[in-house]
Amino acid sequence: MFDLFANPKKFTPLPAKTKEEMPHSKLGIKYKDWHNNHENKHKWRNKRWAVLLTINGLFILSFALDLSMLEGSLSGSRLMGFYLMDPYNALQTIAISLMQGHFPNLTMNFWIGLATIVLFYSLLGGRTFCSWVCPYHFIAENLEKIHDYLVKKKKIKEHTYNQSLRYVFWVGFLILAIVTQQLVFEDLNFVGITSRAMTYGPGLILIWIIVFMIFEIVYSKRFWCRYVCPVGATYGMIGKISPVTIKFDLDKCGYCTDCQDVCLVPHELWFVKKGAATQDVHYTGSDCTKCGLCVDICAGDALNYTVKGLEKLT
Amino acid sequence: MSKNKTDIDRRQFFKSGAIALGSIAIVGVASNYLKANKKGDIPDTNYLRPPGAINEETFVSECIKCGLCVQICPIQAIKLADIDAGLDYGTPYIDIREQACDFSCDSLQCVETCPTAVLDFQQFKREGEKAIEKYDQEMAGKQMDKNYNPFKVQIIAMKEHVNMGMAKLNTSTCLAYQDKGFKGSVRDDSFEGVNRSPYTKDRKATPLADKKYDREVCDICVKECPIGEKAIIMEVMSDGAKRPKVLDACTGCGVCVMVCPTEQPSIIVEPIKA
Repeated sequence: MFDLFANPKKFTPLPAKTKEEMPHSKLGIKYKDWHNNHENKHKWRNKRWAVLLTINGLFILSFALDLSMLEGSLSGSRLMGFYLMDPYNALQTIAISLMQGHFPNLTMNFWIGLATIVLFYSLLGGRTFCSWVCPYHFIAENLEKIHDYLVKKKKIKEHTYNQSLRYVFWVGFLILAIVTQQLVFEDLNFVGITSRAMTYGPGLILIWIIVFMIFEIVYSKRFWCRYVCPVGATYGMIGKISPVTIKFDLDKCGYCTDCQDVCLVPHELWFVKKGAATQDVHYTGSDCTKCGLCVDICAGDALNYTVKGLEKLT
Repeated sequence: MSKNKTDIDRRQFFKSGAIALGSIAIVGVASNYLKANKKGDIPDTNYLRPPGAINEETFVSECIKCGLCVQICPIQAIKLADIDAGLDYGTPYIDIREQACDFSCDSLQCVETCPTAVLDFQQFKREGEKAIEKYDQEMAGKQMDKNYNPFKVQIIAMKEHVNMGMAKLNTSTCLAYQDKGFKGSVRDDSFEGVNRSPYTKDRKATPLADKKYDREVCDICVKECPIGEKAIIMEVMSDGAKRPKVLDACTGCGVCVMVCPTEQPSIIVEPIKA
């Protein structure tokens, strides 16, 4: 708990490993063979997509076939009668209700739903929501490949910004909700809009999403998820204390940086570069969506899912 | 070198941050403009908020647009508004000409399921409890009614407490005002709406297009009203002619609008604007 606020990025980096310390030398094989030995089976990606499609499929089926399994949308839902609330949406609602005097009327189900989500994601790593649940993430994750292809062919230039921009939007939209006393962000919210459009049928609002998708393809990669989405930012804050995360063993790393190439939030894997690590073991931070792409691709098995605190038991 | 880099980083962050705040401000101004110039699509004549909706301003700002009320409605009377409704995007409404709220759920689940209580269930709960209490007081010392069912007493009281709007007759097109009758089905075959008719004593909601009527003087709105004679009656005029008349207990459920056989409905529901 004490190193919660310490930033390992600011520590003095450990010296880069010598050739003898590299994993391929230990196995007594050539670097190239060691690197190519690994086959990317997409184990975690397939599991993750299955979970994501199941959850969103349940939303659709519950409405279409009247199954009553998972009702509502990602702004607020009921899982077999048990309420779940989106935390950023709830935060705005609470703020507005305090202004309008509606606060005491918020139902117990609202509070139970909010508490459940906060507790669940503070255990399972906040932005886990993004890559394992959010329907827009699934679309954007695949659109990203078109963008990467265009960048590779030098048709377009890559534009990156500071990730902290998300917190500007987070505060901005919250203030906007208080000033206008409307859930204005919900008219722009990609998570809510895609979720609603899927379940209750598409509408004109999808034009907004499509325009933004084109912007993401031709201008800046994953602009919404990386620099705007306050929903993801909220989950990130919730996940700060999460024990479930990705663990990095410097010992097993071969400095190939394959993981950073596939990573959806590459700045979280800053420690994989040669000579960048400051500790023998690193954990990914709260921006990590726990998507598992790095776990799948790592040739040396240096990256893995872990539960902090339980590692010593096994 | 590295200091120079963080400097550029910081400058870039301030620049993009300013753009971000600027765009949020634009969104704010735009939404205020939309709010001030609200066309009033919802609620409007025949476009109502679901039962139990609190005053419109608080309703729009506190509805989290989750769609739970849409999900739970057994006849899918509730729909979510699209972006052409401006800030009302994602909020629930009932288009009563297409599918009225016929109370066939018997428990007002849409109200009960609402997590932020913009559809306020407490008022209905109180009404239901009051009705049972009243029944118990009335029956104290007397023999119990054989057909007594506390659930029924409760649901009737809750149902009658609904106040979505008030029905209004258009006397110039109403068939009864022209002493005309009606034969056949009230809406064309492609009409998808359903209702649980008190007239044909349906056990659950069935397609309206399948129902055949044969009335000497058209009184379908009166026959199909789920509230009954407290809400709408056929008034007998001095010359013996019968005319429908809306009474105070009308809940604005809109069944009369849905079943009206004239091309344009001869009865409309004006929403209650609290």
